[in-house]
Amino acid sequence: MSALARGGIYAAVLILAALAGTIPVAAQEFPTRPVTLIVPWPAGGATDRHFRVLAETTSRHLGQPIVVDNKPGGSGTVGPATLAATSKPDGYTLAQLPITVFRMPHMVKVSYNPAKDFSFIIHVTGYTFATMVRADAPWKTWQEFIAHAKANPGKVSYGSPGTGSTLHVTMEQIALQNGVKWTHVPFKGEGEMTPALLGGHVMASAGGTGSSQLVEAGELRYLVFWTQDRLKRFANVPTLLEVGEKIVSNSPYGVAGPKGMDPKIVKILHDAFKKGMEEPAHRKVLDELDQEYIYMNSADYAAAALRTIDEQGALIESLGLKAK
Amino acid sequence: MDIWQSLALGFGVALDPINLAYCFLGVFIGTLVGVLPGIGPVAAMSLLLPVTFNITPEAGIIMLAGIYYGSMYGGSTTAILVNIPGEAASVITTIDGHQMARQGRAGPALGMAAIGSFIAGTLAIVGLMLLAPPLTKLAVKFGPVEYFSLMVLGLTILSYLTHGSMLKALVMACFGVVLGLIGLDSISATPRLTFDRLELIDGIGLVPIVMGLFGVAEILVNLERELKRSIVEAKITGLMPTLKDWGMSKWALARGSLIGFFLGILPGGGAVIASFLSYAVEKRISATPERFGHGAIEGVAGPEAANNAAAGGAFIPLMTLGIPPNVIMALLLGAFMVHGLQPGPLMMTRNPEVFWGIIASMYVGNIMLLVLNLPLVGMWVQVLRVPYRILFPLILMFCIIGVFSVGNAIFDIYVMIGFGIVGYLMRKFGYEGAPLVLAFVLGPLLENNLRKSLILSRGDFMTFVERPISAACLGLALLLLLSTLVPWLRAKRQKIALDETA
Repeated sequence: MSALARGGIYAAVLILAALAGTIPVAAQEFPTRPVTLIVPWPAGGATDRHFRVLAETTSRHLGQPIVVDNKPGGSGTVGPATLAATSKPDGYTLAQLPITVFRMPHMVKVSYNPAKDFSFIIHVTGYTFATMVRADAPWKTWQEFIAHAKANPGKVSYGSPGTGSTLHVTMEQIALQNGVKWTHVPFKGEGEMTPALLGGHVMASAGGTGSSQLVEAGELRYLVFWTQDRLKRFANVPTLLEVGEKIVSNSPYGVAGPKGMDPKIVKILHDAFKKGMEEPAHRKVLDELDQEYIYMNSADYAAAALRTIDEQGALIESLGLKAK
Repeated sequence: MDIWQSLALGFGVALDPINLAYCFLGVFIGTLVGVLPGIGPVAAMSLLLPVTFNITPEAGIIMLAGIYYGSMYGGSTTAILVNIPGEAASVITTIDGHQMARQGRAGPALGMAAIGSFIAGTLAIVGLMLLAPPLTKLAVKFGPVEYFSLMVLGLTILSYLTHGSMLKALVMACFGVVLGLIGLDSISATPRLTFDRLELIDGIGLVPIVMGLFGVAEILVNLERELKRSIVEAKITGLMPTLKDWGMSKWALARGSLIGFFLGILPGGGAVIASFLSYAVEKRISATPERFGHGAIEGVAGPEAANNAAAGGAFIPLMTLGIPPNVIMALLLGAFMVHGLQPGPLMMTRNPEVFWGIIASMYVGNIMLLVLNLPLVGMWVQVLRVPYRILFPLILMFCIIGVFSVGNAIFDIYVMIGFGIVGYLMRKFGYEGAPLVLAFVLGPLLENNLRKSLILSRGDFMTFVERPISAACLGLALLLLLSTLVPWLRAKRQKIALDETA
């Protein structure tokens, strides 16, 4: 073999090595097949509606479809726990991380470590929650409702979409602050809870704005929103802060993958989701769901998650729900 | 706007050539996924949801709805021909449908399923159109207490389902209940029977169980039989139901439609329970219950009408309250949302063209399905001539694809294979799969509603008899139980009387 030819081979090997070093194969090719996004709620709830739109707007920028996979259960922890335990960190399986992922470990034994088992990708938004009653209920205001609950301990029933959900925990936090005792009825998501309120089987329900059309149609009434500010669409309904409860409860959420994801894949996904979030269709669905646009990049989201874990621990302890 | 104007508006939308094309596409895909075992409407609709992003909301929703009710037509085909349900709501059709096929009456069975589906589907749309608002009012009267009692009534009727040993049926029902317990407890979120396996935290799916017990097991049982091709050898007599068949089936169709329509409206009810209940009712009130299980055409007509009517009824809570009663309707809700439409009480006035367009398209789609399915009957019967060595591997393949496509989980395939073996052993020892499937579906619902009822009543069981709907259901269940007791008593008395005279 001539020196020249040998030199050529060396050069080729060097170039290949350099290429391999700068552009890892996985990142170069990612994504080559559809990405699965685990939504840990039943299809049809507010989160599912939101993520079906976000998945579509993001897939336009990702170049591959994003398939929403509903894995409900455990107040939204089953999906992320499954992700942490069984998915490869290749970027093809992601999950919504609801706040319960950070809360449940304080309440029951779980199979994952919320601080260590996820690669945080992007923070998207938070929920808008409210306490509502039927339109023909005797309580016109939050104050009347609380007064009734105080006078009738244990007799006021309310529905929530599951034990340990933010809606459940916040209602109990309110009860604690007011010295009220009421009866919690856990449903399997809002799709089951709302008909039960409409039929008068529970007296109130703690839910999102998925039922806002029922309010507009005069079937239900919002008593109070749990947001920082009043909603544009329901400007006559006060917030918890305004009625003196000192609570803002919006359980913010974002998207994450399993731990150990290639930072380059995280960046590809983050960038695609960022563009997907900015699409008018996504902005529109957030408006329709009355949710705020709360963007955070991967690093900020990871930091916020750690803070949330501590805050939730303190909250659960103060409510006496801590795992024994 | 009166109903005729509204309907005219709707047909204007539905008969638009583009919407017609999407409607046809929808019902065609629906028929296909219904026929293919394991692949159900949920998988097909999730896959096709993105396709609708780039078309008009009417066209997209018309197509997705077509897949749903179309799959209810197709699901009976393999159930009748090869004893393997195309989707969970056709499990019960295997019992008499397949017996009819064995007697060379596959054609009438398929024809009855198709025409019965058409009649029930159409009745359900009329119901949806005329009765949606009052029925919504009735449906929300069902709270945890009413659900519990309704299910007790359902189970009582269903206890007549079995045609073998009562003891064996109970064993299977217990097995089904235990399987239904697997996963996180729906009230306190505590894991049960999960053995620290994450795959089990969500419980096990209905589709893998059904496909294992009925699909894989059927293939295993056939493997050990000599391939005598009994079905094909039986002379195929006629492709359409005879006048006598119609006479026997007409009331079964009517009752099946009613049961299905009403259960379809209730959240969590749906086509599976409706088809089981219809079968049990037909068997219960039949003058010749012994024919059931041996090719009674009412046993095909009733359940097929029920599962199609349930598909129509399920639209009511979605269209009038914006609340989806099942996963499929939730997918449709997603499709509405993507197009910036919110189903709910105001949709009829805000988007009348969408609301009435969809309803009108369902009339059109049902006619398309009938036209599509009746000529196919002849073709499907020919499927029986495909050698088993080719047919069965194909069916197995579709079962695997179908089961995987539901949750994209390999674990589900293992579950299906496991239940295939269990199902095979069950056949060997004379246990039936139907009570197991039913207990698996009803068990968790029953528990959840019982516990919620007791939370609401603060532990007072009287709540079940104090509420009128609940009391009526429980009273009816009690009457049914007593009615079986009376002939037994009478028989016993007669026996004693005979003894005395002897």
